[in-house]
Amino acid sequence: MLKKDLILRNPLRQMGYENDDILPEGGFGAVLARAGVGKTALLVQLALNTMLRGKKVLHVSLLDPVNKVDLWYRELFRRLAVQYQIGQIRTLWEDMLPLRFIMTFKVEGFSVPRLQERLSDIMEQGIFSPDMIIIDGLIFDDTSKPVLDALKEMVEKQGLRAWFTVNIHRQVKADADGLPKPLLPADELFDVALLLVTEGNEMHIRDLKTGDIPSPRPVLILDPATMLIKENVAVAS
Amino acid sequence: MKRDLTRIRNIGISAHIDSGKTTLTERILFYTKRIHAIHEVKGKDGVGATMDSMELEKERGITIASAATYCEWSGHEVNIIDTPGHVDFTIEVERSLRVLDGAVLVLCSVGGVQSQSITVDQQMKRYQVPCIAFINKCDRSGANPSRVIEQLRTKLGHHAVALQMPIGLESDFQGIVDLVSMQALYFDGPHGEDIRSEDIPEQLLAEARQKREELIDQASAFSDELTDAILEEKEITTEMIIAALRKGTLERHMTPVIIGSAYKNKGVQLLLNAVAELLPSPEEVKNTALNLDENEAPVTLSSNPEDPIVALAFKLEDGAYGQLTYIRVYQGTIAKGTTIINIRSGKKIKVGRLVRMHADQMEDIEMIQAGYIGALFGIECASGDTFVSPGLNLAMTSMYVPDPVISLAIEPKDNKAQINMSKALQRFTKEDPTFRCHVDGETNETIIEGMGELHLDVYVERMRREYDAEVTTGNPRVAYRETITQRADFNYIHKKQTGGSGQYGRIAGYLEPTAEGDFIFDNQITGGAIPTQYIPACEKGFRQSLAKGPKLEFPITGVKVAINDGAYHAVDSSDMAFQAAARGAFREAYLRAKPVVHEPIMKVVIESPTEFQGAVMGLLNQRRGMIVGAQDEGHMCVVEAQVPLGEMFGFSTVLRSATQGKAQFTMEFALYRQVPQSIAEKIAEDMAAKKKNAA
Repeated sequence: MLKKDLILRNPLRQMGYENDDILPEGGFGAVLARAGVGKTALLVQLALNTMLRGKKVLHVSLLDPVNKVDLWYRELFRRLAVQYQIGQIRTLWEDMLPLRFIMTFKVEGFSVPRLQERLSDIMEQGIFSPDMIIIDGLIFDDTSKPVLDALKEMVEKQGLRAWFTVNIHRQVKADADGLPKPLLPADELFDVALLLVTEGNEMHIRDLKTGDIPSPRPVLILDPATMLIKENVAVAS
Repeated sequence: MKRDLTRIRNIGISAHIDSGKTTLTERILFYTKRIHAIHEVKGKDGVGATMDSMELEKERGITIASAATYCEWSGHEVNIIDTPGHVDFTIEVERSLRVLDGAVLVLCSVGGVQSQSITVDQQMKRYQVPCIAFINKCDRSGANPSRVIEQLRTKLGHHAVALQMPIGLESDFQGIVDLVSMQALYFDGPHGEDIRSEDIPEQLLAEARQKREELIDQASAFSDELTDAILEEKEITTEMIIAALRKGTLERHMTPVIIGSAYKNKGVQLLLNAVAELLPSPEEVKNTALNLDENEAPVTLSSNPEDPIVALAFKLEDGAYGQLTYIRVYQGTIAKGTTIINIRSGKKIKVGRLVRMHADQMEDIEMIQAGYIGALFGIECASGDTFVSPGLNLAMTSMYVPDPVISLAIEPKDNKAQINMSKALQRFTKEDPTFRCHVDGETNETIIEGMGELHLDVYVERMRREYDAEVTTGNPRVAYRETITQRADFNYIHKKQTGGSGQYGRIAGYLEPTAEGDFIFDNQITGGAIPTQYIPACEKGFRQSLAKGPKLEFPITGVKVAINDGAYHAVDSSDMAFQAAARGAFREAYLRAKPVVHEPIMKVVIESPTEFQGAVMGLLNQRRGMIVGAQDEGHMCVVEAQVPLGEMFGFSTVLRSATQGKAQFTMEFALYRQVPQSIAEKIAEDMAAKKKNAA
């Protein structure tokens, strides 16, 4: 299978999004789940898909060191290549690698001005200009609104698309909109929110904030063995 | 005489360069009474530390070869291998870890877990070596053992558990609180040899209690007895805690952390206690060999001194009395007069003199039992060879040896230097499998190859100093490779009729790229188009062609050759003719198979203060570096990149000037990758110019 087919078979397309980027320019997306369910895996797949389309991804992790983040990409790309039987996997990976930049911060050392400083370091020297940014491990609570506002401003100014992982707790109940509580303080900033939930032996990806997607809403399934999105789509009731 | 194996410790001391491990070894030898005076690595007395026996090591303040030494502590016999800290010499570190049962990971309390510590840690994981950590230099300004323990957890993924806490830090570092015995320990006397035990100072008591509780809590995961004692609120004894810690350490589920300052003579004795109490004896480590009779099936060795011998030569040294071979005996006993067989060469050897080494002094011994490290005299062998009793056909697992990535032409100044240089090269290639040498057939230059600039520099220096061989060196050359990118067919006739018997051979088939190996030969001939007896000649001809690409003359890799047709002549065909036909066929098809040049790419890790992060990334970018990521560590940052080796010459000087000398870097080979078109053109020009000059 060729790279082009791989892009066309992106399972996220089956959720009904017209645009491959899913988010509009300057938009925010969130992947919500309990710890250990597969938020990072899902975002890395989004990133890989973006990289396959030749766009650049900045992965900011507040949890893992560079090596571990890199390993996520390698492993998921390898599994993806096996699943879709792509040939010349090494060459393709080598071509994609320059499209990714990993930055890691300690949670306590992370601030928007600091990220902005690092980002201008690499952009001004022509080292890397991202199209999409992933922020993994940011804490969402009552105090995170100002941080998100600042990030929104940065993302809009630079014309980026930003994805976040949001950790939710077992006891948290979704509110009337279906949005779990940790996202609420900054709800209006987000264009897309995907919720990962375990249903029996499967992990379902539910679209909580569908925007203009007509119902019935499609549900994607994350294979717990490979952490890849399955191609078969169920329909939410 | 049978010794108690449970009281033997074979340990290595591994760390980042400049973490103070040679100083630490020096103190260990002093406290164990193997030496009677202390010399510093960069000491003013000009004597140098005992473990750095090579002149060069003394001058540069670094440890190059791992000297093995022996000492005793509280009834335990400890063999220490001092391992080099620079990544260019990692084959030494890997070899040491292969023969060790446990290791001490030395970390600087200021620098913390640095890039080399990560490499060494990965090697320890590969060889399953249990380890304890020693956080050194607690007297230095900026010392912060808690931060280092945290880094052990986050950066290396160790389950690090502090056994001690400091009393004061930096210039106020006075002593250590032992959380197991709940005592404050101070180190008196001119060299800290008198340990004074007192009650824990009032102001530290609450913190010490809390930390002890954490320690017991973590240790309890490895001991039911300890867990029961906690639940039933019984008295928790030191023995219980030590036993639990030992179990966790041996399983590699826990890394006990000791603190101190070797330079200020504080905490070294406690480290020795921990080595004796927490690291494994040879009996507790499972060692396996490969059974060569059964397709290299792994065999577990017994560590019984009565069983047939299995031993590994892990290091060679050229001493005043001939070649000294360091060995570790895994099973059986090697005594004077024993006959052993070198598995690689099949040669029978009668053991002569046996010694135990203490840096560059030696002590004669009668035998080396299973579990022990010693040295043999006058035995012809290479590093990594296995010795066994007659009748056994076992080999110790071969160590991973990477291919060299850099080469350098060397030329002796005069005749005397020429003789000495060849002696030195013969020795070095035996000692270090990553160091290779050959004579270039065309230019007649002697080429040495290795794993990095510093690696080769050190050997050139050693030639000068130890062998009195003055040599001049050329510019370092990168080991480029060629490969093809598409299939190309060939149909070539080699025909010569110039009087006498002629030559005739026709070969047809195709070349195609393969990822499965350097060269694959596939014979698809049916119906005897080429008679079977000429097929090996065809393969040989293709193999010869791979040594040098027709255009740029780099070795060719990743090629599959398939032959499917041909023709022969009853009189004029011969091996020679088919070899020539294969070479011709390869030449004909190669350029149509779109050859490309591949270059070695190095993994470069730079640690720098955060304010220079932008500058560092700029430097890497200028060198065609691809930045993998940047890790923010508070006031320091770590930038990881993949940079072509060809762009890294002289990088240390550039990095120093760009960061006011505050950044440091390590570099190791990562992979081969295709050279961009513009660079490939430049390489082609350089090669053409070189050829012109040679002509």
